[in-house]
Amino acid sequence: MNATTDRHDDELVHFLERDQLTADKARPLARAHVSRGATAALWALRVFVLVVGAMVIYTFVVQLGG
Amino acid sequence: MTPPPDAQAGAVVLPLPPLSAEDTARSHDRRRVHRARRGGRRWYLLWLLVGPGILVMLGENDGPSMISYATTGATYGFGFFLPFIAVTFAMAVVCQEMSMRVGAVTHRGYGQLVLERFGRVWGWFAAGDLLITNLVTLVAEFVAIRVGLAYFHLGPIIAAALGMVLVVFTLSGGRYWRWERIVLGLAIFNGLFLLAAILTKPHWSSVGHSLATFSPFPGGSFNTLLLLVASTIGATVTPWMVFFQQSASADKGLTPRDMRHGRLDTVLGGVLAAVFGIGALIAGAALHGHGGANVGGLAGAGFPAALARVSGGAVGTVFALGLIEAGAVAVLTISASTGYAVGECVGVTASFNNSPRRATLFYAANVAVALIAAAVILIPGAPLLSISLNANVLATVLLPVTLVFMILLASDRKLMGKWANNVATNRLAIAIVAFVSVCGAAYGIDSFLRTSHLI
Repeated sequence: MNATTDRHDDELVHFLERDQLTADKARPLARAHVSRGATAALWALRVFVLVVGAMVIYTFVVQLGG
Repeated sequence: MTPPPDAQAGAVVLPLPPLSAEDTARSHDRRRVHRARRGGRRWYLLWLLVGPGILVMLGENDGPSMISYATTGATYGFGFFLPFIAVTFAMAVVCQEMSMRVGAVTHRGYGQLVLERFGRVWGWFAAGDLLITNLVTLVAEFVAIRVGLAYFHLGPIIAAALGMVLVVFTLSGGRYWRWERIVLGLAIFNGLFLLAAILTKPHWSSVGHSLATFSPFPGGSFNTLLLLVASTIGATVTPWMVFFQQSASADKGLTPRDMRHGRLDTVLGGVLAAVFGIGALIAGAALHGHGGANVGGLAGAGFPAALARVSGGAVGTVFALGLIEAGAVAVLTISASTGYAVGECVGVTASFNNSPRRATLFYAANVAVALIAAAVILIPGAPLLSISLNANVLATVLLPVTLVFMILLASDRKLMGKWANNVATNRLAIAIVAFVSVCGAAYGIDSFLRTSHLI
């Protein structure tokens, strides 16, 4: 039974790329190098989006009251 | 034994780890792709490889989007927004092609990649944005189902139950392929909006003129125009789409060899969605001059009945069925994107190719988010109109951060190798992000200032 399963697995495994295997995907990738300028720009965008998001939510809440 | 499909002569073969249940399910699908490719069966190969692109685009032609397009048509008739829908879908194709490409090359979902490459803070911000917008949007999807069913005198309990039965039924197979094919089968009925448009017997010469000239340009207040622009963008490019297509492409098992078909899938989805979206606007335009500007209320509840009065019962019925389909497909795809995001960010398996026992969190998040949204529409007096109107706008406002990380991932040569973005793609993608940011922010700020009586 185990030999049959192993042979079946052996056949099927060739239809996947190595990095498609769940064992390989579970291996974390290295952190990307992000420059200080890029990090600052990402934070600026994040803050901007949060502020505008808060404005939309405020408008939504006021609409509820109206 | 079939030889390894991608083996290279002289390559050093490393011992392979044992296959998990998820690997086995995926490799069965890949074996069919390999055999179709080797046998030169081009149409069968296309059939096997399409899916995530069509699903993501037709999934985004959801209840609020179709109501938004129809409202625009009812308010302004044909004009600027008719070709603008096509433009926004062209923008969506650019973003979604990147999403598919990153998924096919890395075999990892968006949430997992952001978390691993940029750290936990950014990963959880991305997942948080997605959860908020998905929850709000899912409520709007259940509202759309409710509106469609109301035309047939069926109540909100039926709407909530129908959505949940569909979610549980599609999740029950333990295979990505099964889930994808069922949802694709449902998504085809998005074409009902095109049928509704044809049944209204529009002046096709006027449609052609608007498509060719982007005119007439709508009048009215600046705020209303901004709302329509922002919600039209929000109706075509949203954070869940980026999460969904990347994760679904990886879950389906797409590889760089499938890139041509992945692109075809995305473009085909974009074209179908644009045509059906334009269909919704044309159908809505039948109400222009018949008090059309006022039927968008109650989250579009008046549309099917108003269309039945003006253009005949068949149009109302087709439009109502279309709303049910649009809401149902979006419930399935958006809750799936939530499952993927939660699983990837927590670091547990997130795949339809696993059983609920092995991927408990993935399935639980999928069902839970739909269940919460279904429960909201059953609350008496819940602000369903406001939620539906603001769903697309909120998605537009939160989208730029998602897209910026998408561009960073797709441009990352260490990650993508030769499949990384070229300069032209990056310029186009950055222009799209800038356009979306300005439109979303302009509406958000303008509405805030008006609501606060500061202008």
